Amino acid sequence: MSENNKAVVDIDRSVYDIKDVENEQDFYRMEDGFTEEIVRKISEEKHDPEWMKQFRLDSLKLYNELEMPDWGPDTDELDMNLISSYVRSKSDMKGKWEDVPEDIKNTFERLGIPEAERESLAGVGAQYDSELVYHNVKDEVADQGVVYTDMESALTGEYSEMVHEYFMKLVPPTDHKFAALHGAVWSGGSFVYVPKGVKVDIPLQSYFRLNAAGAGQFEHTLIIVDEGADLHFIEGCSAPKYNVANLHAGCVELFVKKGARLRYSTIENWSKNMYNLNTKRALVEEGARMEWVSGSFGSHTSYLYPMTILKGDHSTMEYTGITFAGKGQNLDTGAKVVHQGKYTSSLISTKSISKSGGIGTYRSSVIINKEAKHAKTSVSCDSLMLDSISRADTIPGMDIRTNDADVGHEAKIGRISDEAVFYLMSRGLSESDARAMIVSGFANPVSKELPLEYAVEMNNLIKLEMSGG
Amino acid sequence: MDLNMKVNHLPALTYRFLKSNDSQIDVKDLYIENTKTPEPESVPSNVNVKADATEADVKALFSGDNAKIKEKLVNLPGPNGDTAHLNDAQTVRTGMGVEIDKLMAEMNVPVTVITASEGSKVEEPVVIRYSLKDGECALGSQVIHAKKDSEITVIMEYSSEENAKGFLGIQTRLLAEEGAKINLVKVQMLSESIVHFDDIGGVCDDKADIDTIGMQLGALNTWGGCRITLLGRKSKFDNHTGYLCRHKQTYDMNYVADQIGQKTDSNMVFRGVLLDEATKIFRGTLDFKSGSAGSVGDEQEDTLLLSPDVINRTMPMILCQEEDVDGRHGATIGQLGDDTLFYMQSRGIGEEEAKRLMIRARMESIARMIPDEGLIVRIQQYIRTIL
Repeated sequence: MSENNKAVVDIDRSVYDIKDVENEQDFYRMEDGFTEEIVRKISEEKHDPEWMKQFRLDSLKLYNELEMPDWGPDTDELDMNLISSYVRSKSDMKGKWEDVPEDIKNTFERLGIPEAERESLAGVGAQYDSELVYHNVKDEVADQGVVYTDMESALTGEYSEMVHEYFMKLVPPTDHKFAALHGAVWSGGSFVYVPKGVKVDIPLQSYFRLNAAGAGQFEHTLIIVDEGADLHFIEGCSAPKYNVANLHAGCVELFVKKGARLRYSTIENWSKNMYNLNTKRALVEEGARMEWVSGSFGSHTSYLYPMTILKGDHSTMEYTGITFAGKGQNLDTGAKVVHQGKYTSSLISTKSISKSGGIGTYRSSVIINKEAKHAKTSVSCDSLMLDSISRADTIPGMDIRTNDADVGHEAKIGRISDEAVFYLMSRGLSESDARAMIVSGFANPVSKELPLEYAVEMNNLIKLEMSGG
Repeated sequence: MDLNMKVNHLPALTYRFLKSNDSQIDVKDLYIENTKTPEPESVPSNVNVKADATEADVKALFSGDNAKIKEKLVNLPGPNGDTAHLNDAQTVRTGMGVEIDKLMAEMNVPVTVITASEGSKVEEPVVIRYSLKDGECALGSQVIHAKKDSEITVIMEYSSEENAKGFLGIQTRLLAEEGAKINLVKVQMLSESIVHFDDIGGVCDDKADIDTIGMQLGALNTWGGCRITLLGRKSKFDNHTGYLCRHKQTYDMNYVADQIGQKTDSNMVFRGVLLDEATKIFRGTLDFKSGSAGSVGDEQEDTLLLSPDVINRTMPMILCQEEDVDGRHGATIGQLGDDTLFYMQSRGIGEEEAKRLMIRARMESIARMIPDEGLIVRIQQYIRTIL
């Protein structure tokens, strides 16, 4: 174990922290702040259709009207006037890896993205700051009619009507302040359409890298899995650490049609100066299934609660999540589900670990509407406190409006048992190795839901956190 | 007067759309003519009752413990959306919060202080009965003080004339000194046209124990709150609440166990039934403060929903800033199981009768814990009548 542990410690976290200098020659950076003038400039830069320009301006108006939430982590240190809404490389998006500019390519090479594409993915999108720099989908997947492209191309190309029909319909800008901000300044992200009955056997992945200091990333992900189709989509995020706040206010809209299945996996490892105020939502139709797998390790502050609307009868959802809040982090995460259709079911299972002064909050809501007869829900949240200078809070809410529902909820909070540590130490492990092993075991229900490569990365992140790396 | 108060604040705010962060009491044209707590029916020799204490007296009584609480909680960061500051001005933190203190002060409600003398174990319960006449509006405030190593049981029973309209608001504060035990029983069997609130707050010193039993069976709108601060080492809080809401009745509650001392123990059980168009909001919080090492807490909620038109909101929270604790929450919400119904029907009991039996069984499982046979019979009769 000590050898393994050494190997773990040897994994260089600084790979995420390498800062590539962005000079004015190669990069375009919008001035800081969020004004009408800036929004108009972004719209012009991106050659938006007229409806999108108006949509952005209307969203900005809402952003200025809506209040900051009063219930979550403190965002006082996030000065919106110091955030640049748009930073992009002056190079266009490439379809061939070798064409991507050298410095950007190096960053993604270090993060292992091209290697993952070769070995285990059906397609990859790589976003650097505000724009996609690379997008590729394997021929055999494209031949099945699967569309995987950047949002800008989808907005103006062949799928423009589809984008117009679905864009921010599930997460309207009225939803909350940062959804409105997203509507105003969104840039980049992916559009995926899986045609009826098509099953994509290996996952698609988007990787989001925010390199510029004091910048915001506002990518939009729109996925439509048509009737009877099947997709696994993986999202990875990272950024180098700066002394100024960065902001991520992305938006993910997922439409899972009749009888379809979508698994959406996220390993979030933003740097610890990041405010991650991301919104994710899925609309699930009759007999369809939505699966979320979520690992939150990075960020200074997170508000992240993927929401599922079980609209169709017999639709189901499963959410499996883990959050590891370390020093200086305030990670407020969880899930939301609304049962609308009959015979719907939801299963939420979360793990939360707090260490070295970190604040981990599990927050959720389960709503069962009057029409959702025979709905079933089961919520289980476990929190682990690794010291007494941290916080672990569990704040679930349930609103049940029919008697014809079956609701189960369990929450537990506790520490690593001395007996378990003693047992492992009696088998020759050091105390720190024993504790790391117990925490990995605690996280196992989440890691086993991930593809092997990502499970390994997640376990490494846990071990790094445990060793203070 | 008009009542317009925000009460039952969740200790940590959550999503606004759940509409459960607090609750609004709006009552118009209230004429409060009665602010005196009824005299206890019998007062044992080792119990002292002072009927006209002031809030200043109560402050003096709790000042020692309040200083200790302040000292232990200073500079400790709260949870995201912390609402603790809203109730900083309270003499004793209660479930419903500072607005109740303000109302009692505004109406000059005298405080009845019931004190068990040091080392005494009071065998017979102290019984206080409120019996409202039609149109009567009353407020009442009590402090139950169990001195070192004493034990006292207080039973408060609220009833009214049939179909009476009116208002009843009660605040009861508890101080259990080292090694003392307070058993507090509150049974509410008011008419369905009465608006009611019942607010409890208490502090437990070393090895002290507060045990509360509550039954909410009547009234149109009920707000209930209970906040017990387990300040002392090995102090303990047990609560058992049973409620039955039907027609358009609402029950809005906020229970909090603040666990500050080492090796404290809290155990809260809520068992209820919702019928017709009834609405219930349950807020239950275990709050393990830094320094509460070795503490345990458990809250269990079991709700039977017997109509398609009920609304059931549940906000069970565990807040924690201490490593060495064990906190649990469990909730089971749903209708009568098919197996239970089938079993009953196989023994010749129809569905409606089976439901009535299950309601009675649930309520009686709490009622049987009350150390007063006469009151148990009255509860049984009340339930039989309304069903």
